[in-house]
Amino acid sequence: MAVIDTLLSGQLLFAALVTGTLYALVALGLNLVYGTMRMLDVAHGDVVMLGAYAAFWAFTGAGVSPLLAAPLVALAGAAAGVALYRGVFARLIARSSPAQAARLEANSLLLFFGLSIVVQNVAALAFTPNNRAYAWAGDVIHLGNVSMTGNRLAALLVAGSVCLVVALFLARSVFGLAVRAVIERREAAQVVGVDVDRVQWAAFALGFGTAALAGVLVSALEQFSPFSGFPFTIAGFIVIILGGLGNVTAGLAAALLLGAIETYGVALTSANWRSVLLYGCFVLALLLFPNGLFARRLRA
Amino acid sequence: MKDLAPNAWWAALWLATLAVLLALPFVANAYLVGVGLSLLMWLALTQSWCVLSKMTGYVSLGHVVFYGLGAYLVVVTWQRIPLALAVPLAGLAAAAFAALVGLPVLRVRGPYFVILTYGLAELVKYSVMAGEAASGTASRILFGTPDLTVVYFMMFGLALAAVALLTWVSRSRFGHGLRSLRENEEAAETLGVPVVRYKLLAFVLSAAIPAMVGAVMALRSTYFVVGQVFDPMISVTVIAMAILGGGDNARGPLLGVLFLGLLSELLWASAPLVYMIVLGVILVVFVLLVPDGLLGLLERRRARAPLA
Repeated sequence: MAVIDTLLSGQLLFAALVTGTLYALVALGLNLVYGTMRMLDVAHGDVVMLGAYAAFWAFTGAGVSPLLAAPLVALAGAAAGVALYRGVFARLIARSSPAQAARLEANSLLLFFGLSIVVQNVAALAFTPNNRAYAWAGDVIHLGNVSMTGNRLAALLVAGSVCLVVALFLARSVFGLAVRAVIERREAAQVVGVDVDRVQWAAFALGFGTAALAGVLVSALEQFSPFSGFPFTIAGFIVIILGGLGNVTAGLAAALLLGAIETYGVALTSANWRSVLLYGCFVLALLLFPNGLFARRLRA
Repeated sequence: MKDLAPNAWWAALWLATLAVLLALPFVANAYLVGVGLSLLMWLALTQSWCVLSKMTGYVSLGHVVFYGLGAYLVVVTWQRIPLALAVPLAGLAAAAFAALVGLPVLRVRGPYFVILTYGLAELVKYSVMAGEAASGTASRILFGTPDLTVVYFMMFGLALAAVALLTWVSRSRFGHGLRSLRENEEAAETLGVPVVRYKLLAFVLSAAIPAMVGAVMALRSTYFVVGQVFDPMISVTVIAMAILGGGDNARGPLLGVLFLGLLSELLWASAPLVYMIVLGVILVVFVLLVPDGLLGLLERRRARAPLA
């Protein structure tokens, strides 16, 4: 009976919602960057990690609350994304032939993996490899019979509303239509007059901005280190595989599902099994959709 | 004569490496023997990785899973099963594991295969970790392991076996089949190459040696920590060595191992973070600018020479 009570408690549902919403936010950015560029950006989680450090220094150094830091760090992340696109990727694409571009796409995983190793270890050199954490808004709030801490509630509200706004923007606006067109067929979108370059830099801005924002929110909830970005990349990939490339709404549902599997799975077993669950979902998702993220696009 | 010259250079490099590594335990101190051992380890790991990943283009970022399984098996069966049996058993078990997961895993292609193998290795790592934690074992220590020279020559044998395996595969009809499916899987299948069987066989062949290497390295370190024997950075180092070397025969990995193996010896212990940064930079630079590796650079220089 004790197990059943735990499983039905509002506490656990709330925890699953927080985790799922954070995964949704990370996956959203990954979806945009990967979808428009067709490069497996495994360094995406490292942007989350850097966002967490930015919030940590702002809070411990200058006493800036994470809620205040969030928009600033997100903007800085977006600016970094645009700079990276303009400085590296736009040039790389302009310079390479179609054959080279295809090879680059195939090798993108190793490329970003190398990049990710560099970022993580430079961060470890600069910030020390130790875990960091700070205490912000840890007071317990009671809503009905569910008690929650303020920082978790804030993370849920901020991440959830940003996800919804971006999803609505992509679904309803003309620019969102252009983004989805580029994700589905880049060449065809170009033919009908979509400014692919503009879509791509906007995707980088939005993708890096949301990742940095997720980092700020994560930093207020749990401890992090230079190496804690990668699990977010993995979670992001699971969400995209399950939800489909470019499909942000289905991605939100998939992220909540993943959050629920992880939270309820850990509640049923122990914290030791968290990573087993995460990687288990990942392997299973890839085995079920062996064509990876293209499965849905090809079927359509 | 012109064609023979580079082959003579290669023969000389192989013989010199072999002679130095063979003589090392008799003339050098324990530190240098340790360096030789880790070079042999990387050689065996990288050569066996190439059997699948260089030959078929299915780049595995999870080679460490076999290494870790081999180490785990020897540690668990320590002083219950004689070592002479436990090490080959580790190889067999890893091959069986590869055969079991191979069919579904090898259906996944390109960058998805790369990240799937990484995920699979991490899944096995965390599963073993959770299992160990559930049984209340944080780490295990081995007593009465054979001394360094014995471990060294076991590793020497494994490195030789790995070089022989890759050389055989690279020259065989089977190897040509693997190359053809690397270039175009559908076309190879149309021409009668048993694509699925070949891929699986290459995967199984590439799994046995790293497991035995892991088993032998567990004897060397005498203690066992799950996170260490399943460290994904072992897979990354193997890939970096193979890509640095280039080519799809035993020569490229030799260059990569000699270069990066010595570098890692210099840096890994004293400045592990700097070593990882160097590794990452090598990965980025070679994937982006030198995709054919050092071997490709050498061959291009040779091709250009007669014109000059």
